Amino acid sequence: MDSSGEDINDMVKKDDAPKGPSGQKETSTADMLRIKQQMSNQCFEMEVHLNAVSVAGKNRRSCSTSEAERDYSDHISELERVKTLRFNQTLALHRMQMWHAMEEKIKTNDPEADALRAVNQRCMALCCRIKQIQQETRLLQDEITELQKKRLEMKRLTHEKMKEMEDLMSRKEHPDTEKYKAALEKGQTNLEKYKKMSIMAQNVLRGLLLACKINWLDDPKLRHVAMTLEEFPITD
Amino acid sequence: MSRLNPFAKLPGLNTASVLLVESEEHFQQSLAEALVEETSVTVNVRLAKSFPLPIENDESRPRIDLVVFIINLTSELSFQSAEASLKYLEPGYFLGKVCFMVTNARSSSVPAERLDAVRRLAASLHCPLLFAEEQTPQGVTNAAERLLTILKAAAGFVPFTTPLYLSNLTRCTLPPDIDQPSFD
Repeated sequence: MDSSGEDINDMVKKDDAPKGPSGQKETSTADMLRIKQQMSNQCFEMEVHLNAVSVAGKNRRSCSTSEAERDYSDHISELERVKTLRFNQTLALHRMQMWHAMEEKIKTNDPEADALRAVNQRCMALCCRIKQIQQETRLLQDEITELQKKRLEMKRLTHEKMKEMEDLMSRKEHPDTEKYKAALEKGQTNLEKYKKMSIMAQNVLRGLLLACKINWLDDPKLRHVAMTLEEFPITD
Repeated sequence: MSRLNPFAKLPGLNTASVLLVESEEHFQQSLAEALVEETSVTVNVRLAKSFPLPIENDESRPRIDLVVFIINLTSELSFQSAEASLKYLEPGYFLGKVCFMVTNARSSSVPAERLDAVRRLAASLHCPLLFAEEQTPQGVTNAAERLLTILKAAAGFVPFTTPLYLSNLTRCTLPPDIDQPSFD
């Protein structure tokens, strides 16, 4: 037994493809396309390999692995970018093709074309309605924003006014009461002084009346004066 | 020294050929059986113990799309044999047509350095590293499935994908703390 032997192990036991009446393997169109795809992939690989080998033969420069890695990742990202671009373009192309096909179909007068046309009309009607409703929503939305702005403005004003009021109220008492107080006190001292003077004068008059036994009842003027003596209390 | 050349022969129609290289010849058999189950593509499985391959089979051997090195982590010989076999492959293979498969990674008797060494090898060659569980049939089926994905890309069955492109996505990378001591 060879130590590095290789088994010829063609273990293709399963018969996968359905067999036709002649016993040959039937390959459907999809299979053919797949096989074609596979072959084109293989050819592409071989082409790349050949190119690489021929290029390496021409310029034998020694590139470091780090440089190669950087180039590699750059190439990969470029590849991704191109792939996405191609995908998007294919999508756009398919879209255009589909629309063209639909156009062609509608131009003929099949019952299918009628159905297609009806669907088209319905779509258009719905789109118009959607546009209308969108406009209305926009208007309503604008109105709502206006109202909200106004409300905010009101709130701000009330806030300001409240602040002002508070300010005034706290401020008003202080300066007025200051001046007021001084005047008030002065007035009060004056009042006390004159009150005392009048009480003293009245006491003196009362004393005079009693002491000199003046008959004040008869004289109306004297009576009037004597009556007013009782208005102020006799203070000590 | 005859090397295996990826582009020396014409590719087969609707077929994919894979070469399983394992020095113990344990897992090869069950994996091959699982691989052949694939119906959409005819899978050609060839088994080998190590390189160099015998010359007498050169004529009948089809073009190999993918070379899989199966390394059993519990034996050092397995790893060394795989490493020694590498020089018998043309460099064209390392652009996505080589894959490493590791078994018994969960076994406790495996020293951590061996897995690191395998990882380093796979990372330096930019090849994918698969972990397989060979004891259960479910494990074998899973391994076969993953291998089939890579095989299909290598044989050109996936549109707009070359094996080089796929290898860029699946290649083994080294964790940044590979030089630091592990848990145990």
